[in-house]
Amino acid sequence: MNSVRLWYKKSGLAVYTSHLDMNRCFTRAVRRAGIPLWYTEGFNPHPYLTFLLPLPLGTAGEREPLDIRTVEDISADEIKKRLNAVLPEGLEIVDVTEARDKANEIVSAAYEITACFESGEEAEKFAGAVTGIIGTGALEAEKRSKRGIKTVNLCEFILSFKAKADGNAAVIHTALLTGTQQNLNAGLLEETLEKAAEMSPETLTIVRKEIYKENNELFA
Amino acid sequence: MYPEKLEKHLLRVQKPGRYTGGELNSVVKDRDSVDISYAFCFPDTYEIGMSHLGMKIIYSLVNSRDDARCERVFAPDVDMEEILRSENIPLYALESGDAVKDFDIIGFTMQYELSYTNVLNMLDLSGLPVRSADRKGLTPLVIAGGTCVCNFEPMADFVDLTLLGDGEEVTMELIDLLKEYKKKGAGKEEFLKAAAQIPGVYVPSLYEVEYKEDGTIAAVTAKDGAPGKAVKRNVADLDKMFSPETFVVPFLETVFDRTTVEIFRGCIRGCRFCQAGFLSRPLREKSPAEVERECRAICDSTGYDEISLCSLSTSDYKGLETLLRSMLPWANENKINIALPSLRVDNFPQELMEQLTSVRRSGLTFAPEAGTQRLRDVINKNITEKEVLSTCAQAFSGGWTAVKLYFMIGLPTETPEDVEGIANLAQAVVDEFYHNENKPKGKSVNVSISVASFVPKPFTPFQWEAQDRPDTLIEKQNLLMQCVKSRKITVSRHVPHTSFLEGVFARGDRRLCDVVEYAWKNGCKFDSWEEHLKLDVWMQSFEKFGIDPFFYTARKRDFDEILPWDHLDFGVTKAFLKRENERAHEGLTTPPCREKCSACGAAKLNGGVCNELCKAVV
Ligand code: SF4
Repeated sequence: MNSVRLWYKKSGLAVYTSHLDMNRCFTRAVRRAGIPLWYTEGFNPHPYLTFLLPLPLGTAGEREPLDIRTVEDISADEIKKRLNAVLPEGLEIVDVTEARDKANEIVSAAYEITACFESGEEAEKFAGAVTGIIGTGALEAEKRSKRGIKTVNLCEFILSFKAKADGNAAVIHTALLTGTQQNLNAGLLEETLEKAAEMSPETLTIVRKEIYKENNELFA
Repeated sequence: MYPEKLEKHLLRVQKPGRYTGGELNSVVKDRDSVDISYAFCFPDTYEIGMSHLGMKIIYSLVNSRDDARCERVFAPDVDMEEILRSENIPLYALESGDAVKDFDIIGFTMQYELSYTNVLNMLDLSGLPVRSADRKGLTPLVIAGGTCVCNFEPMADFVDLTLLGDGEEVTMELIDLLKEYKKKGAGKEEFLKAAAQIPGVYVPSLYEVEYKEDGTIAAVTAKDGAPGKAVKRNVADLDKMFSPETFVVPFLETVFDRTTVEIFRGCIRGCRFCQAGFLSRPLREKSPAEVERECRAICDSTGYDEISLCSLSTSDYKGLETLLRSMLPWANENKINIALPSLRVDNFPQELMEQLTSVRRSGLTFAPEAGTQRLRDVINKNITEKEVLSTCAQAFSGGWTAVKLYFMIGLPTETPEDVEGIANLAQAVVDEFYHNENKPKGKSVNVSISVASFVPKPFTPFQWEAQDRPDTLIEKQNLLMQCVKSRKITVSRHVPHTSFLEGVFARGDRRLCDVVEYAWKNGCKFDSWEEHLKLDVWMQSFEKFGIDPFFYTARKRDFDEILPWDHLDFGVTKAFLKRENERAHEGLTTPPCREKCSACGAAKLNGGVCNELCKAVV
């Protein structure tokens, strides 16, 4: 049995695929690629396939980790080649490595939020408004957790935040607490900002760029 | 791909993956590279439609042509419909995002009557008039196929034509003809007249229906050279027929997350309530080698890990053992489950059974359909209480503890004893468990019975019978509940209102078109979904047009009445169905085709040769 960490990129139409559906989708892709997966033992065996940091519906990812276990020794290049030949549009393996860091070491992630408006002025206005809002240090929203819904200050989850206009788009670069301990969904942040700024963009893309451990070290 | 305008709304609807397209194996062709564009529409949600085998076949078939493309369209859910309407986005096809109204053929597959209003809604969302007469151009041509078109009269004013029987060959011929007529710039009427000459095509507007004063049909007259009877198409050799080697693999979870491979069409059983069995006669089997080839190809291209072998009665497939012996090693090695729906476990080799993981997982199911032997004889369902109990005994010894039993109420000649019999049979299964010495230790048994309401259907021996009214069905359900004594038995029953509406449309005529349109205009859609069904609106609609819906359901017909579907020919003859109806009332069973041919008439569709037992019957 070999543990392998796949790093995939999720973009385009695949962004509308929920986490549960991603699981099914990758299981099938691995089967199509003829990569023999290791199956759990027991009454209802299923292939071992774990998303370390599931992406919320609507968020794209540049380099997302996914662990699989194979029964045969297959080279990283071969796995990448075979999977990319069979993955649907919008999903792509960008790297295959050994599984070094553990999922619970993840503390934060960097996001890029692009909100497009009808005019450059609106984009400017939005970028200005959200910078001001975050600057106050207070942005309340209802947040769902395992223990139910409660109101929290989203700013407590924000490590860095920069917004600027670029043509008709307002582009936000932000690092948010992410992982099993404390987690803020970038989609929730954007939605709350829209409400607070009382503006609604024409189109919106949210991309998770990088994932970090303590001290801003890249998760690997 | 979806229209650009939709982008900002996609994350605001439930399950956006229903509306994006771009799934693995979907075929995207450029509109300008083909002569004919075919929009295959399923009048229900994505998850239901994507599990449908017929769609997968026609999709691959049409796309196998260089001169045509086929794209998929599903009924948008209520939240998406709101957006489409408020943003003025016409209904689009998933592959290209092109508007449905710009396709040459808009084809609906009709699997159940309660999806009729969705057809109108989808046409309207496309920006098209719902009535055939109001769509003047040659294209888009609106067509329908599937089970319901054996009597599509309640929808006759909306579609331009229907395809009867197996769709593979006739779809190709229709595309050829349309291509030719489009090229020469012909009009719609001219085309429809020519299309009516293709065997398997029925053009409702070429038939005139006159009614008697009592509301029954006086005459149906074919005009403009249309055949007196439109005959269904029958693909004689399934091995030579086109069958897809790949399916679109949805991102979303669908109703059945697996591949389906057909093993045969037709049925040798002759259960008198079963419309599918008679409509699809005669029996035609695929060879085990062909089935296995398809299974392997589809699993390779989709990555699915479950195959469902599909037919009306798995156990009747002659090649079943050969197929399983050859295919199981491959399946097990690749961790692929083989599901055998409606497998009768008696007579099935034990060692093969043990290798079928899916059977182990899903538990035991039986469909006795009726509670007493008398009534089972009436409906010609040949399963005995003894068979049920002995199979259960075997299974209990093997460690099973759950049994599912399927029944119907409202069957012709049913008495209170028959309803009680349902509870008794379930109780007998419970008792069998407790008397079984080898039963699993420390566990209890669970028998669940599911009770559907019987709806008489065209082209069955019960097509003349009266359907129970909803209040009668509720009484029978209550009686059943009183008879169930054990807490080990759970009963699930269905609201009789949906069966009532289903019954109206199953045996309805053209006068119902106005009712369907009016009900749809007043908000009826997704009628098969209990939470969407608006019975009061339907009742108002019937009233508005002076139509008594019970005329279609609760009335027993005379054998010599002209039925709304009499001008269609599905092989089985009216004389045979009448014979079967009479035998039912005498409590006489009819043997399956393999024991004795009953000369049902379907053999003529196969050039007079039905199966090895009835070569001589024409
Ligand atoms: S022709 Fe005979 S064998 Fe064939 S389906 Fe009809 S009854 Fe059965």
